[in-house]
Amino acid sequence: MKTRNSNNIEPLRVAGRYKGYSKEELKRNLPRHCKFSPYILKQINNVADVTLRNSGSPLAKKINRMMKEVFSEAYRAKQFTRTEINNRGVLYGVVLLKHDVIDLVLRYFHERWPKCIVCLYNEHSRKTSLINEKGFIKEIKVPLIEVVEMVSEKHPIMPYFDDIQFSGKDIFETLYKSQFIKKRENPHYFKQMIPDHCYKLPGMRNGTEKRFLNNNRKLDEYIF
Amino acid sequence: MPSTLEKIRILGANSRYDICASTASSRTDKYPRLFGKSNDWIGATSSGGICHSYTPDGRCVSLFKTLYTNKCIYSCKYCYSSICKHKLSFTPEEYARTFMKLYSMNVVEGVFISSGVCGSADAVTEEMLEAVRLLRFKYHFQGYIHFKCLPGLSQYLLKEAISLSDRISINSEASNKEFLAEIAEQKDFTNDIILRQRWLKSLREKYNEKTIKELKDLEQDNYGKLSFQEKMIKERRKNGYKAFRWDGAPILNGGQTTQFVLGAVESETDWDLLNRIDWQYRKVDIRRAYFSAFIPIEGTPLGHKKPAPLEREHRLYQTDWLLRIYNYNLNDLKDIVDETGNLPNGDPKIHIARVYFKEHGPLDPNHSTYQELLRIPGIGPISAKRIVNLRAKKITFKSRSDLKSVGVVLKRADPFLKINGHNQTTLNNFI
Ligand code: SF4
Repeated sequence: MKTRNSNNIEPLRVAGRYKGYSKEELKRNLPRHCKFSPYILKQINNVADVTLRNSGSPLAKKINRMMKEVFSEAYRAKQFTRTEINNRGVLYGVVLLKHDVIDLVLRYFHERWPKCIVCLYNEHSRKTSLINEKGFIKEIKVPLIEVVEMVSEKHPIMPYFDDIQFSGKDIFETLYKSQFIKKRENPHYFKQMIPDHCYKLPGMRNGTEKRFLNNNRKLDEYIF
Repeated sequence: MPSTLEKIRILGANSRYDICASTASSRTDKYPRLFGKSNDWIGATSSGGICHSYTPDGRCVSLFKTLYTNKCIYSCKYCYSSICKHKLSFTPEEYARTFMKLYSMNVVEGVFISSGVCGSADAVTEEMLEAVRLLRFKYHFQGYIHFKCLPGLSQYLLKEAISLSDRISINSEASNKEFLAEIAEQKDFTNDIILRQRWLKSLREKYNEKTIKELKDLEQDNYGKLSFQEKMIKERRKNGYKAFRWDGAPILNGGQTTQFVLGAVESETDWDLLNRIDWQYRKVDIRRAYFSAFIPIEGTPLGHKKPAPLEREHRLYQTDWLLRIYNYNLNDLKDIVDETGNLPNGDPKIHIARVYFKEHGPLDPNHSTYQELLRIPGIGPISAKRIVNLRAKKITFKSRSDLKSVGVVLKRADPFLKINGHNQTTLNNFI
């Protein structure tokens, strides 16, 4: 099939309901999906842009679904990964990523803490990934604690990070509870915002939020 | 000596009725960074909107939102602080450290700092500013800070606050003087609220005009961005950072916002509130208004009153959206408020459409203007723009499915549409 830029010819379909993705975006991001096969890329190469962007075609539907799965996994990881920082400027945490999006998550933390070494352990691949101050990424098959120790040894204690060495778990829990207005409680909306599958993420497994999930919780416990 | 946890428990609870908790982008990449892209700065500046948690009412917890102190010389009738027996205050250092800890845990995106008025607005604001200064210059936090302007704050402190934060809000609480006097008799509507909102507007305009002009001059002189930064740094040494925004970006990138308490004054109608926000959008450049449905708190003078329905809050947000994003006119809304001055149940856009299309008949998307398209339920700014763009390319819409493919929600739009002289459902079915 002839590939052409149909922007001028079929603008209605191009300006379709879903933005869709360009071929470059697809080539860059589809291989991140755990069920990616090179055959999909072949198919993409043989299909016109317009077909790919038209959310009605079966191929576009499949691609959109895969892309959505990839990006929503990265987004949830950015949202719900809970991290710790030590006094040598090593930021670390645990993630559960089926797809290959660890670089997106690492860069998110790197942007926020550019001076830190960020280490994330992926429970799925059982590997630890690091990003350094310069933005270089490395992946190693060593448990998180060991990596953090190894990296920390090479860095001096920094007063900045030393200053925030106290437990924050209780602080967040207290802040979280203090914000809840019982009279506005809306379990349906709450579930929509934190779907059940998010509680499987390492940062949320024992999170404060989870205790509000069960119907039998006595919310009064949290109100004074 | 109360612990930090105790302070968060009490001061967080005191601030929970402050609804404006969204994060706006703290700066744009268009403007140079005063200190360059140094790795010293911590925090995200461009992305707003990642929520790290939600309370069981579905509201997001993305800001470190507590009062700085709940000691207050005012006694607003709806306010929890005025009756809270535990009076506590943070210290600037404690506040800044606690936030940085939370930020390092990836549980918050920014700061929302508000306070009761302990002694005088200026005295508390000085302390709040000290906490913000620590965040900016000791902890090098460049992310989002929302600062609350307290009633009666002096202009010089307001200037400093806008040079350090991304968004400032002044709570209007009520739509006019008389209503405000009913719930917060010590607050002066004209002086404490409107005057400060005007200050914010003029400070922002003056500063940003000057910065943009300077930037343009420098570009023309081929000095480039670096010299702009150098100039800013020199200026900072000379005048302190108060003369401009702390990082050289346009000030108040997140704009100023306001909040109303809904239903605390019985006689205050939706129409009163809509009139006020329309005025604020036009005259004082409010970025957006928030509505907090009144919830009676036991022990307060209004503790016996009925809570305001959340539905009302929702309707006002929908209508506010029409004013702000869809550019509707206040007169359009006049047609749908009932004789009591309140909005009817149901989507206000559909109510307005019923009135409008009864008079004008269904619209043909091939001939309607952008603003007319926006009047059709099921067509938003994005699909309206697509329709107009496509028409500019001489594309005509021949069928309903053509419209569907540009994102129109046909289920809602059908009764108000006419394509090639035909409309699918008669308007009368819906009127
Ligand atoms: S000024 Fe009024 S609303 Fe604000 S803390 Fe004091 S009593 Fe409460």
